[in-house]
Amino acid sequence: MPSADAEAQAPAFEPIADGRSACQVRLTLFEGPLDLLLHLIRENELEITDLPVAQVATQYLEYLDVLRELHLDVAAEYLVMAATLAWIKSRMLLPADSELGEAEEIDPRAELIARLLEYQRFKEVADQLGRLPLLGRDVFAPPGVELEPPAEGEREIEVGLLELVEALRRTLRQARASEAMHEVVTEAVTVRERMVAVIDALEQSEVVELDALLCGPDGRSSRSLVVATFLAILELARTAALRIYQSLDASGAPRGPIRVRRVAPAPA
Amino acid sequence: MDPTERRRILEALLLASPEPLTAQRIARIVPELSVRELDGEIEALNAEYEATGRAFRVEEIGGGYQLRTLPELAPWLAELQPAPPLRLSRPALETLAIVAYKQPLTRAEIEHVRGVDVGAVLRSLLERRLVRIAGHREVPGRPILYATTRRFLEVFGLAELGDLPTLREIEELLRERAADAVEEPAALAVADPPDDDGLGLDDDDDEDDVDSFARSH
Repeated sequence: MPSADAEAQAPAFEPIADGRSACQVRLTLFEGPLDLLLHLIRENELEITDLPVAQVATQYLEYLDVLRELHLDVAAEYLVMAATLAWIKSRMLLPADSELGEAEEIDPRAELIARLLEYQRFKEVADQLGRLPLLGRDVFAPPGVELEPPAEGEREIEVGLLELVEALRRTLRQARASEAMHEVVTEAVTVRERMVAVIDALEQSEVVELDALLCGPDGRSSRSLVVATFLAILELARTAALRIYQSLDASGAPRGPIRVRRVAPAPA
Repeated sequence: MDPTERRRILEALLLASPEPLTAQRIARIVPELSVRELDGEIEALNAEYEATGRAFRVEEIGGGYQLRTLPELAPWLAELQPAPPLRLSRPALETLAIVAYKQPLTRAEIEHVRGVDVGAVLRSLLERRLVRIAGHREVPGRPILYATTRRFLEVFGLAELGDLPTLREIEELLRERAADAVEEPAALAVADPPDDDGLGLDDDDDEDDVDSFARSH
């Protein structure tokens, strides 16, 4: 569709006419089809809310052609958008259905416009996030003291399976006691859910006592909750997301509360 | 405990902690420092730092407090870091922005907004603990839901998610910018003196005529 102001529109890419090389092309890299569309809209000083689809579609396809000429892979997403633009363009050419009243006429561009507006918003948010003073880039925090176990005697050791099972048994006994109240509520607890909960608890504070973890967040516990949590902790220990400790007493025997500690992830 | 001593202990705790300290945690360690009094103590510390030109401040981060260096010192501190400085790519920032505002949400929902595949970006954000898995949506296929982490607040220096600008504020900003863009060309045409010899039609500008006269003679 030729339009009167066709020459006025700057293409999204242009050969650099400085005489040095005829095949130099200034190519802006885009984050995806929506980003490219926003760029075309900005370049042509168009209103997103009144998008001239035919005009934008032509330039969009020209851009894809340049990518192909440069033997660059055009990602599938760009092709899907090209098809969408072609579809909208054809819909706009069709005469309005006289059966439908004007009010019921749905603008075929509506969904695309909504997506463009939404994407534009988050692009702006991303810009603002990028300008914040980032930890590790713009600001730095003290690394803190090493939380290595202190010397002899009070040293924490990794706990044995027996002590773990003993802790489970103790908590289960308490759970049974509270179940004597006979509350008939079925709650399905999954190990996966409890894994998320344990991780969350360890996000809050690095070291948590095993007993505190086994009880639910509100201190109440049911048999299934305790078992699921116990399995969740074992699973997390297996994947090295946490470690389980207990102190040694003077004679070297494990004693005192069993603690669960978050394993610091390797620095990114 | 005298107030100076109390403030010194608070400072030491902040200095030695590897992560932001919550008011509750501080109160547990120093019972004389109640949650209620803490705000005032933090302010007093910051006032002291400012008055004496210290290189750091106490910041409220993710519901806790942490000592942080001032941004203008970054160039020197970057030299000190063993790891390359934190870099967040454009796709990473866009994906984080979407997750931060719409969490919890599925990968497909992020992709719908960005218009591109976000698998690799999400994986790297998960690895860097900026995004976490927050369960599943109870629909067929039980897709994974993603949310931001406390680490996200730490890295971006936010006390809470509410510190981010609202989407309405963002929209207003975009509208203002669009309005500015419309006005700008006109404003430029008026403001720019036609001193460009090659292009300026400066017949009616006496001063410029004199100027170009002086230059050519």
